[in-house]
Amino acid sequence: MSLLRAEGLTKSFGKTHALEGAGITIRAGEVVAVMGPSGSGKSTLLHCLAGILPPDSGTVHYGDRELTAMNDGERSELRRTEFGFVFQFGQLVPELTCLENVALPLRLSGMKRKDAERAARDWLGRLEVDGVADQRPGETSGGQGQRVAVARALVTGPKVIFADEPTGALDSLNGERVMHLLTTAARETGAAVVLVTHEPRVAAYSDREVVVRDGRSRDVEFAR
Amino acid sequence: MNTPGVYTVCIVLPMSIGHALLGLLESGPRHGYDLKRAYDERFGQDRPLHYGQVYSTLSRLLKNGLVTEAGVEAGEGPERKRYAITDAGVTDVERWLSTPEKPEPYLQNTLYAKVVLALLSGRSATEVLDTQRAAHLATMRELTRRKVDGDLADQLICDFALFHLEADLRWLELTAARVDQLAEEVTR
Amino acid sequence: MKRVISDLALGVRLAVGGSRKSWARLALQGVGIGLGVALLLFAASLPSVIDARTDRQAAREIVAEGNGPAPLLAEHQSHAFRSDYATGYYLKALTPDAPVPPGIDRVPGDGEIFLSPALARLLDSPRGELLRPRFPQKVVGTISQAGLQNPNELTFYAGSADIREDDNAVHGWGVARQGGGMHPVLWLLSVVGLVVLLFPVLVFVGVATRLAAAQRDRRLAALRLVGAAASRVRLIASGESLAGALAGLVVGFGIFFGVRPFVDRISINELSAFPSEVMPTPALTLTVIVAVPVLAVVTSLLAMRRTIIEPLGVVRDQKPVRRRVWWRLVPVVAGVALLVSQIGKITQTEKPNQWPVVFGIVLLMLGIPVLLPWLVERVVFLMKGRTPALQLAVRWLQLDSGTAARVVGGVAVVLAGTVTLQMMLAGVEQEVQAKEKKQAAFHYLSVKPRQGADTNGIAAALEKGRGVTALHRVEQAWGQLDSGGYVTLNIAPCAALTKQATIPNCTDGKAYSVRESTGLPAAQAGDVVTFRHSGERWTVPAVEVIEGTGSIPGLLITPAAARGLVPFGTEVFVELDPAVPDAAEHARNAMAGYSWQVYSYFGGQDDTDEAERVFGVVRRALLAGSLLTLLVAAASLLVVALEQVRERRRPLAVMAASGVPRGTLARSLLWQNAVPLAISTAVSLATGIGLGVLVIRVIGAEVAFDWAGIGLITGIVVGLTFAVTALTLPSLRRATGALGLRTE
Ligand SMILES: Nc1ncnc2c1ncn2[C@@H]1O[C@H](COP(=O)(O)OP(=O)(O)OP(=O)(O)O)[C@@H](O)[C@H]1O
Ligand SMILES: [Mg+2]
Repeated sequence: MSLLRAEGLTKSFGKTHALEGAGITIRAGEVVAVMGPSGSGKSTLLHCLAGILPPDSGTVHYGDRELTAMNDGERSELRRTEFGFVFQFGQLVPELTCLENVALPLRLSGMKRKDAERAARDWLGRLEVDGVADQRPGETSGGQGQRVAVARALVTGPKVIFADEPTGALDSLNGERVMHLLTTAARETGAAVVLVTHEPRVAAYSDREVVVRDGRSRDVEFAR
Repeated sequence: MNTPGVYTVCIVLPMSIGHALLGLLESGPRHGYDLKRAYDERFGQDRPLHYGQVYSTLSRLLKNGLVTEAGVEAGEGPERKRYAITDAGVTDVERWLSTPEKPEPYLQNTLYAKVVLALLSGRSATEVLDTQRAAHLATMRELTRRKVDGDLADQLICDFALFHLEADLRWLELTAARVDQLAEEVTR
Repeated sequence: MKRVISDLALGVRLAVGGSRKSWARLALQGVGIGLGVALLLFAASLPSVIDARTDRQAAREIVAEGNGPAPLLAEHQSHAFRSDYATGYYLKALTPDAPVPPGIDRVPGDGEIFLSPALARLLDSPRGELLRPRFPQKVVGTISQAGLQNPNELTFYAGSADIREDDNAVHGWGVARQGGGMHPVLWLLSVVGLVVLLFPVLVFVGVATRLAAAQRDRRLAALRLVGAAASRVRLIASGESLAGALAGLVVGFGIFFGVRPFVDRISINELSAFPSEVMPTPALTLTVIVAVPVLAVVTSLLAMRRTIIEPLGVVRDQKPVRRRVWWRLVPVVAGVALLVSQIGKITQTEKPNQWPVVFGIVLLMLGIPVLLPWLVERVVFLMKGRTPALQLAVRWLQLDSGTAARVVGGVAVVLAGTVTLQMMLAGVEQEVQAKEKKQAAFHYLSVKPRQGADTNGIAAALEKGRGVTALHRVEQAWGQLDSGGYVTLNIAPCAALTKQATIPNCTDGKAYSVRESTGLPAAQAGDVVTFRHSGERWTVPAVEVIEGTGSIPGLLITPAAARGLVPFGTEVFVELDPAVPDAAEHARNAMAGYSWQVYSYFGGQDDTDEAERVFGVVRRALLAGSLLTLLVAAASLLVVALEQVRERRRPLAVMAASGVPRGTLARSLLWQNAVPLAISTAVSLATGIGLGVLVIRVIGAEVAFDWAGIGLITGIVVGLTFAVTALTLPSLRRATGALGLRTE
């Protein structure tokens, strides 16, 4: 049973055809690496999958609901409750402390401040960054910031985590630490991870990979 | 230490001359001498084949029914014989191309030959590379798993292997990105 | 509902941010909006000030009709003193329960006087020395606020036993108030002034809430990413603007109550007011309190309509949408059309239909900030960077010309308004001064004894006055022509007449008719005059038409020609020695004993000083106002510039690290500020001058340019550009330092 399924996605930016009939299937709880050359459309595919960029054509299904047919409110709700995001940088709100950042999705869902921050502190602890809870993102190291971002992605107990080059700005030791924490936490909570990366050692944390070339994707199934 | 065999440094040339010759024959029957020249041109930059190697390989292929003699020209000596690939030979090439090499370092010669032969015979070189990267990644995944579960010594040894495999994989990606360029050069 | 509040709260939390920069941003918004709010509150107090003033004025009007004998007699008198007037009443109570005028507790007895605080101050000061002889009475008290029109009014209530019952009976004080009319030109001047002052305030409120928009867009994109729907992001953004607006309200009320105690020090009487009265009306206060936050929220929402905040904003910069011009031209065209349609419709007395004028001005002003973003975009788009610094600046402006255009839009409105007001002032000033100059040529004090006063005694007293060189007595009568017009008849020998008018070969037996401003003579031979006081009729003999000089109107008749004419009053023209300073005051003091019985008017009174003073004050106030607004605009420009440096810290750091000289980067910053400012200055000068010409045309006055003022303001703008850039340099230095390479 697939959790997230995309078929025949196309997306153009002016004359650039970023996606030309890409498809992908994500099963619950698996970690899938999306690889491919630069500019092949990996990020665009991820954005379409997560419903933050509407494709020109093609469909994305989340369970039995069609993401591409939802309105903005529904997609926002989905992002808040079912999805989590980790990007290379920029996803944290610089004005809020790390703790507030992690608590943010919970508070947006209407949770009380105290409860939200308790849960947030818990996740910061699991990602071994409780020390920076009261600092703002600008005051943390890149690795700490990414772990805060991972904590924020996981705090709502999402079904899918979208990660686009989450370790792109980190050295290999920090990068692997983040990947280890991310995949371990995801496996513990049963979240699937869609991981865009061009680093093989980061991709090695996945269960399988999908290769995107010239806007077309190829599932590479390999015996586990 | 439970990681023997994971990583064996290959000192011997891993290249399969037999498959290479078969691949070259796919584009049409050739003399043994022609074959040597074609091989040297494409793969033998610093290590040209001996005639002896060519003829012993050809006679093995002949014995296995992968090639046949396609007529003899007037004159003496084996260099006058022309060889052609059989159906069994084609199948063998195909199987070879689509089977990933065991992910080990220093594979580039074999892989390079595979890519060139795939391009020469109009097969998908990208597929060859993708198959190989999948195999590499699978091994890396296995190593990563061991690393994550293992102690520091395991981690260090696995990391050594991982970094080397990563280098190969990067080479694979780079080649994949340049396949079109390569195709132009080989088929010219 | 709870969610709405919590979203707004989150917005507020984001606005206060916690970092020093966001506090600074909030403080700036607070001060900027606060200044605006304070101005709005003062404007909102105008109705109550004017109301109270009109009330008090009506309360001290005399009730002349009543039953039975009058309990009180009153003579109104205006003592001219240089260019001021001390105006008040001489009173004589006939019964013990005579009505007491407002502001004092009893009717002053003979030889007693109540003074207004300002008059008391003047009399005590050396400046008032020459006025003192006219107020020999014993000061028994001060007139309280209830009896004053404004805090600086020179007024008095004196007791005088000399008053005889005449038509000066008082039965009570206070009449129903009637609407006071304002001079149309003054009215228009105030309308333009208010619009010019208040409009930038509104623009600024809009601009202030949109400071650091790019950063906010990114921040909101991050919120969208974690699953806030577009509507909630708008709510959160509203919360952010709300924080600034609320801070502005607090600051604004603070400024208002801080400045209020000083409004009675304003030296222009008409502008000064009692602090206790400067209280915005509840309705207008409520309007300000509601409108400012609403305006803040609405502008930020309107602004966000363009930049649809998408979660992808976290990773990608959106390409700016090209601006369209046609709708941006609408306000300008409509404004010009409205004003042009009003040209010539305003006369000296007729109030113009106010709405077309107000709307025209507002639309034209509105046109500036609306048109500027498009203009800046187009100009910047066509520019090519010749030097690397200019290229950097131009490229940045091409990507985000909106922020800069918005800020300079505020500046532009202020500038345009200032230029317009300066032009109007210059025009009016020129006219006033020309008139004053013309009058300054006369050195006569015209003295009119009241009916029944001892004219001979007055004349005798005057002759002893310092600086008096001659006296000319002119007998006068007033009557109505059959055509309905009124005419003054002046009877005097040629010696007196020729001093007051240019009469070629005056001979006894002739009569002269002064040409009026309408171009027609005051009366013609054969016209019949009916005298008001006697009902007698008199036929105008042959008259010679002469050009008037302004000092005596009507008919000038030599005694021989005045046969059968019974004069009714006398006017004494006192010829003064121009060499004696304050000769007019000395002459007035000479007849001080006749206090209320005589009225004098000094034709040669030099009011240019007074005009200069009023215009000086207005000009300074205007300059101060526009400087303040410019400073606020410069402050917002500074914030934008700082935000820019902050936002582009990484690229700047990378450039500096890769060897781009800091000087180049600094110059590119300068260009970034200078290009939009130059465009906006040009636009606002053009608009200001255009609007000035239009408005002056509407008034029908001479067009005059205050080049010095325009130059000064322009110079200030240029200076501010450099100042703002200079202030950004430290942060540029920090950004290009080692720390700049850090993200976030
Ligand atoms: N917002 C955009 N506007 C214009 N072109 C875009 C936009 N987003 C993506 N593209 C184009 O679409 C193509 C695919 O971009 P995408 O970011 O998906 O690549 P990618 O595989 O993620 O590359 P990388 O590994 O370098 O991140 C590129 O050619 C890019 O230039
Ligand atoms: Mg990408």
